[in-house]
Amino acid sequence: MVKVYSITQCPWCDKVKKYLKSKGVEYEEHNIENSEEDLAECKRISGDTIVPVTTVNGKDYVVSFDKAKLDALLGL
Amino acid sequence: MDKKRIQKDVVIVGAGMAGLTAAIYAGRANRKVLVLENSLVGGQIANTAGIENYPGFLSVAGGDLMGVVQQQAEKYGATVDEFDNIERLELTSQPKLVETESAIYEAKAVILASGMNRRKLPLPEAPRYDDKGIHYCELCDGHLYQNKIIAVAGGGNAAIDAAYYLTKYAKKLYVIHRSQLRADKTSVDRLLEKPNVEILLETDIVGLEGEGHLERVRIHDKATGEDRTIPVDGIFVNIGVIPNTELFKNQITLGPTGRIESGEDCRTNIPGVFAAGDIREKEIRQLTTAASDGTTAGIHADEFIQSLSRKESV
Repeated sequence: MVKVYSITQCPWCDKVKKYLKSKGVEYEEHNIENSEEDLAECKRISGDTIVPVTTVNGKDYVVSFDKAKLDALLGL
Repeated sequence: MDKKRIQKDVVIVGAGMAGLTAAIYAGRANRKVLVLENSLVGGQIANTAGIENYPGFLSVAGGDLMGVVQQQAEKYGATVDEFDNIERLELTSQPKLVETESAIYEAKAVILASGMNRRKLPLPEAPRYDDKGIHYCELCDGHLYQNKIIAVAGGGNAAIDAAYYLTKYAKKLYVIHRSQLRADKTSVDRLLEKPNVEILLETDIVGLEGEGHLERVRIHDKATGEDRTIPVDGIFVNIGVIPNTELFKNQITLGPTGRIESGEDCRTNIPGVFAAGDIREKEIRQLTTAASDGTTAGIHADEFIQSLSRKESV
């Protein structure tokens, strides 16, 4: 399952989510402002709490909106 | 594989207030309209937490306002595409060509509303701290500095509004500006009501320090000549903007500030090409004037297409 780590007010998070929707990719949203667990997991994956972070397996990830990297990560 | 060619009446470059307003007007004139955006729909305003000087709203988040404007444009038939990046523009031909990653659009008229990008902090070590203490989006990255020391570089309305937003995170907030504040008094007064805000005027940022992440900022007080180092965990940079003309600067006449030369009618030196919003040389660049430009450009683009039809029928 694709996971997007985000915060509530974040235009780049919104753009990533819109992109995934436009490609028909289902994803889970994890708001790191609302969950200590998600905050810790985001930090474990990327080493930071900069968002958005998109991951498919909790290991490979893309920070912010980078279409080429997202396409590669998601096999689009 | 050859890219598909698609005919449009109007292609609008940029989905900020100017571009989307132009899309509303051209769409309502029954034109086939495409709006392309290489960055964020909403433009610079998308990053703004609270807008208080746009008529009709006491206070509105930039993203919320622009979401509605996008819906209005789409209601009148415009397509807004923020994922198919523009690669090339050919403005002097008729039809004009707009090549994206996936298609070549043939447009009867083009409206350039590509806006501005934030100016980067002009220090050689600055790139080392990108996203590691130097940031350009308060909404996106402010949360990283909960109970930390934040500085905002800049003295205009955008800087002061950013500082106000960041006070909800900062245990101490500096505004550092090289001269006097240009922001309006209402915004400055509101910021100064917050505790732990210190405004350093006539002050240059001359150095950044920290192992891996920003830890300190060296500043120079131009009035006293004093140099000192202050602990800062993160700087949000709002020191002005640069016009986003890279895609077409060699085809169109630019003015003294690097923006597109055009009159109040938004016409450029190329027939059928219009400029709207912050990308246009003008004295006042506000959200309201961007909407005004979008209106003018949308109406004139429609008139230009009508004139093409009249020529074809003669």
